[in-house]
Amino acid sequence: MFHKRLQQFVLVYAAGVLSLILMKYLLHLSDYVIPGPLEIWHTVLSVFVRYLWNVADTLWIAVLGHLISIFLAFAIGVAGRRASWIGSLIRAAAYNIQAYPMVAVAPIIFILLGDGLLARLLIAVMICYFPLLLSVISILSEPVDSVEHFYEATGRMNWRLQVRIRAYENIHKLTTVIVGSATMAMVGTIVAEFVAADAGIGYSIRIALYQSDLSKILAALFLIGISTSLYLTALEWAGDVVERKFQV
Amino acid sequence: MNRIGKIIGILGIAGYVLLSVRGYCDDAVTYRLKWLFNASVAGDLYADAQGVFTAHKLDVTVKEGGPERDAIKELELGYAQFGVASADQVIRAVSMGSPIVVIAQLFQKNPLHWVYRSGKIAINSPLDFKGKTIGVTYGGNDETIMRALMARFGLAKGSVNLYSVRYDYTPFYEGKVDLWPVYINAQGVIIREKLEKSGEKVAFFSPDAFGVRFVANSVITSRKLLDEKPELVNRFRQALIEGWQEAMAPGNAEKTIAVLRQFDKDTPLTTVREQLAETRPLIQPGSEKDIGQIDVAAWEQTEHIMLDQKLIPGPVHIAQILKGNLKTD
Repeated sequence: MFHKRLQQFVLVYAAGVLSLILMKYLLHLSDYVIPGPLEIWHTVLSVFVRYLWNVADTLWIAVLGHLISIFLAFAIGVAGRRASWIGSLIRAAAYNIQAYPMVAVAPIIFILLGDGLLARLLIAVMICYFPLLLSVISILSEPVDSVEHFYEATGRMNWRLQVRIRAYENIHKLTTVIVGSATMAMVGTIVAEFVAADAGIGYSIRIALYQSDLSKILAALFLIGISTSLYLTALEWAGDVVERKFQV
Repeated sequence: MNRIGKIIGILGIAGYVLLSVRGYCDDAVTYRLKWLFNASVAGDLYADAQGVFTAHKLDVTVKEGGPERDAIKELELGYAQFGVASADQVIRAVSMGSPIVVIAQLFQKNPLHWVYRSGKIAINSPLDFKGKTIGVTYGGNDETIMRALMARFGLAKGSVNLYSVRYDYTPFYEGKVDLWPVYINAQGVIIREKLEKSGEKVAFFSPDAFGVRFVANSVITSRKLLDEKPELVNRFRQALIEGWQEAMAPGNAEKTIAVLRQFDKDTPLTTVREQLAETRPLIQPGSEKDIGQIDVAAWEQTEHIMLDQKLIPGPVHIAQILKGNLKTD
């Protein structure tokens, strides 16, 4: 699975880099605007190991943030699934907070948590959690009439049973949502590092941008792509395992 | 069908004539600034809003800059004909083969300073940095300037604690950082106002005063445009310098403030007034220097600093791309 995803990513990435290089030579652009292939290669060699560590640093925060987001989204999603005023309030809060630009919220987070690991984690969770929550609410608020009707008619329905039925019947949708939100966790962590941290690949990209060094940015994007592919493959595998277990 | 064809033909001819007349009257160029609209671009905005460009038969579209904007790239891609870039950007670009030239230097003194609480610490020279926590933007020109100062005054790496700064000033307000990099004529004014309101005294450390003359914003264009249309480049430079001269004249202060307020509606009037007052000595520190004059020695020092810090792979002989001797009369 990873092999296939990796091949696809490398293909897309190579196509992107080749079009940039083509544009460079067609428009006679200097290495400052678009670096040449040799320049890119030398930069990749010089920053590869350092950036690999940076990406690993980003990835573990993204994974941790994603796990926290999943836990929170399910915990609050269970409460928010009902058409009550609490459910409506949670949905409204989710939509509003999702609309806030992180650069505006970041200073408040720094005041509360400083600028270390916690701030990075919180920003990652904030970016990943709300889309996940809305999907979970949407899935868990959809009644499975064919099954639920029986328990309701016999008076045996309670909220735990309702959640279990809906989760079981929508297990594929839920695993797809979780896998999909992994990219949001990665994006959230990189954004957090860009605005709030002094570690991780987002921070390295920020420095490369200050130095107008596209080669470094291309190297960083390559490693981000590889690590995201790796994480998505791991999640897809875990999702398959869970689905198979439920089917049994 | 025939009628429609005629109408399209007439419209086409009319459009061509209109465009030709416009082209005959005014040369249309785009001018990309380095940063957002504020006092640092007062002369650029003044030249636009007060018709100085038009008086020189120039139709200039002044475009706001920002953190992700790069005038050098826009020149190469043909999105702009003139732009503003800092010296380190220019030197880095030239070292990578970018065909640009510098036609004017806007800031004679770099506006980058470090603000500190003068009631708590005394900074009389860079030697007083020892043991202090100093904010720098890693990868930014403030890091380069701070490292140049440290090297010049023999400060070992471990003798100061460098702190990575970002967009917000919370660590400085909270007192975690002793010195924070600011543009004295922009955020510097705002931070001073805030801290003085809360009864704290602030002062600014100027690297320029201790011999580090790292050049800031300068006006650039492409070598191709200079070779093909030197008259246009000359006319643009002349109009721009006139704009800056008028904007910086103390007698025109109210007019300049009105122009700035037209473009920057969020900054309070009193702040704009102070920002303008702080901008004047940076653009024209004394009568010995003309507005727009290129300080070749400072450019060469900037190149040496970048070479020393291995920010460029080799010398770029920067004096060769400084074209400040265009006619201004």
